Amino acid sequence: MTETHPPGATVAPARRAQRQTESIADNRRTARLRPETITAVCVFGISILLVLGSRFVSPALGSWDHVNTIILLASFLIVVAFGQGIVIMIGGLDLSVPALITLGGVLTTSWIDASSGMSLPLIPAILLICACIGGISGLGVTLLRIPPFIMTMATGIITASAALGLTSGTPRGTAPPILTALMKASWIGIPVILLFIVAFAILGSVLQGRTSYGRRLTAIGANPVAAHVAGIAVRNSVLIAYMLSAAASGFAGMMLAGYANGATLRMGDDYLLPSIAAVVIGGSSILGGSGSFVATIGGAILLTALSTVISAIGIPQGWRTVIEGSIILIALLLLRENTFAFLRRRLAR
Amino acid sequence: MSILATKAPAHSSRLAPSLSARAKALLTSGTGIIIVLYIILYGLYSIWDPTALTADTVLNLTNNAVPLAIAAAGQTLIVLSRGFDLSVAGVISLTNVIMAAYPLDGPMGAVESLAICLAIGGVVGLINGFLVAVLRLQSIAATLATMIICQGLSLVILDAPGGTVADFISYDLTDVLFGVVPISGLFVAAVVLLWLLCRRTAFGTGLYVVGADETAAHLSGINVKRVRILSFVIGGMLYGLAGFMLSAQTATGNPNAGASFLMLTFAAVALGGTSLSGGRGSVIASIIGAATLMLLQKVLFAGGVSSFYTGIFQGVVLVLAVVFGNVVTHFVERRGAS
Repeated sequence: MTETHPPGATVAPARRAQRQTESIADNRRTARLRPETITAVCVFGISILLVLGSRFVSPALGSWDHVNTIILLASFLIVVAFGQGIVIMIGGLDLSVPALITLGGVLTTSWIDASSGMSLPLIPAILLICACIGGISGLGVTLLRIPPFIMTMATGIITASAALGLTSGTPRGTAPPILTALMKASWIGIPVILLFIVAFAILGSVLQGRTSYGRRLTAIGANPVAAHVAGIAVRNSVLIAYMLSAAASGFAGMMLAGYANGATLRMGDDYLLPSIAAVVIGGSSILGGSGSFVATIGGAILLTALSTVISAIGIPQGWRTVIEGSIILIALLLLRENTFAFLRRRLAR
Repeated sequence: MSILATKAPAHSSRLAPSLSARAKALLTSGTGIIIVLYIILYGLYSIWDPTALTADTVLNLTNNAVPLAIAAAGQTLIVLSRGFDLSVAGVISLTNVIMAAYPLDGPMGAVESLAICLAIGGVVGLINGFLVAVLRLQSIAATLATMIICQGLSLVILDAPGGTVADFISYDLTDVLFGVVPISGLFVAAVVLLWLLCRRTAFGTGLYVVGADETAAHLSGINVKRVRILSFVIGGMLYGLAGFMLSAQTATGNPNAGASFLMLTFAAVALGGTSLSGGRGSVIASIIGAATLMLLQKVLFAGGVSSFYTGIFQGVVLVLAVVFGNVVTHFVERRGAS
């Protein structure tokens, strides 16, 4: 979590040694808790407190409906943050997110007409196009050694400009029924999007935490040189990470199109900083090599819950923004590693 | 996660003693590349637009580029010490709305406004520095929060675009001195001069060392916390100055004035060849990088590129510039090695 490393040798051994000296007391149970798990529990805990506490703001909040709304609104951010999290995991950053969300949405509404039955084959086709654009970013980063920040910014600008040119400024069309169903229908009383997000969360965290690809990403993020020496195909893994991120953003664009039943050219703009914030609040290091998708989901839900609660407070927009920023800051301070070390010592007693 | 989490700094090998000489060569080449690029673009501009070489155009270009150039200079300090500062957008918006909501006229008013802007930037920078260096938050996360808070405060002061900046600031500071020297350019010259002085101090050296390898910096007796806090404070003051110059140019207030600066400062920094992973780069190169970005828009317009597609060219130029820089650096390094 810190980028200011404590003095001494490399970070991880130092931290581990510190933990060992702290653990003179019996901590056989608490030591098993990984920092990622604690972060995830804390982020979800803060979100739940926020939702429960929101009853004081307005009686309409804090209900089951409110929770459903939060999950519906957070679903876009969760999908985007999955991709952003993978790219941050390998020590990169994906700034092309807004452009790819827009592209996904615009292509969906302009190619798939609501009445045609072509939506099933066209959805993967659009995702493939998005993945290819991600692949260009990935090639720039791996082959041309362009800093990820610049490369993804450039592909983002280019994609956004292409989307603008393609639509001549006004995107047309509506979303196919399958996407509106995903966002709005429910199945035996449960919203489909809730089921989708649960499935996405399970798949995403299995990919990141349990597959060899996920472990390769962690290794690359921790130390690309060591990963290469250990025989990992660094270039391919990085390339795939950018492709996954772009496809995730494109899919979020489809979801947004399904939700709003149309696309706009600025629909992705509000997702860049929140996607990075969700990942960082979830405890991932911005320098790569650590983090978990479950905690990132917690970060996305926390941010969304915060904005739904704050928008219900009857004060001017400016003060609402100030409160939002302050709560993010407080959450960051609470989620620091020092706080966890403190908790760990307490629990160990 | 166990062994792999050992995060050895990838370029610690570059810290060999003989390296300061080579690092210097790299630095000059980074600045050199961006100067060459700027001249090429200006050449194209003068071909497509016959007025490109008149004093008027030069004044306009300078006035356009100055706010971004100063903001990019501030961002460079934080990037050099391996950090990101998103609060640039918040500080610029905040100083801009304060200048528009509370205009202070006359030369003394301008000095007071300038002092207020620098103070705001300095305070925000101090908070950022404290959060990052003492409380050990990740710089991107901490400055994101301070950016949101500053944006909110800007909306509190001015909830919609409007207001007018004092006449003295908006007229006299965007004018020329002795008929040729743009006054706004003098502010940039002052920043460059301060940077050249700063680079020779313990802080200036510390900035590079902390960015390259923080542990090594600490072990060699550099006060890492002090360097970090100072970089955020000076960076913040430069954003304040950028907000001041932006207000002089736009003559009005906008609570979202700073938003567009966020990505552009990083683009300018990277275009100037400063490594976003810290330890390598130059403030001067970032300033020219900022000027290049602003010039590029003019060149594309003069070249008759449809405004729908300017983004495609901007993106391609950004990538080509960095690739070109990489290629040159590669050759310089090779020559240095043999």
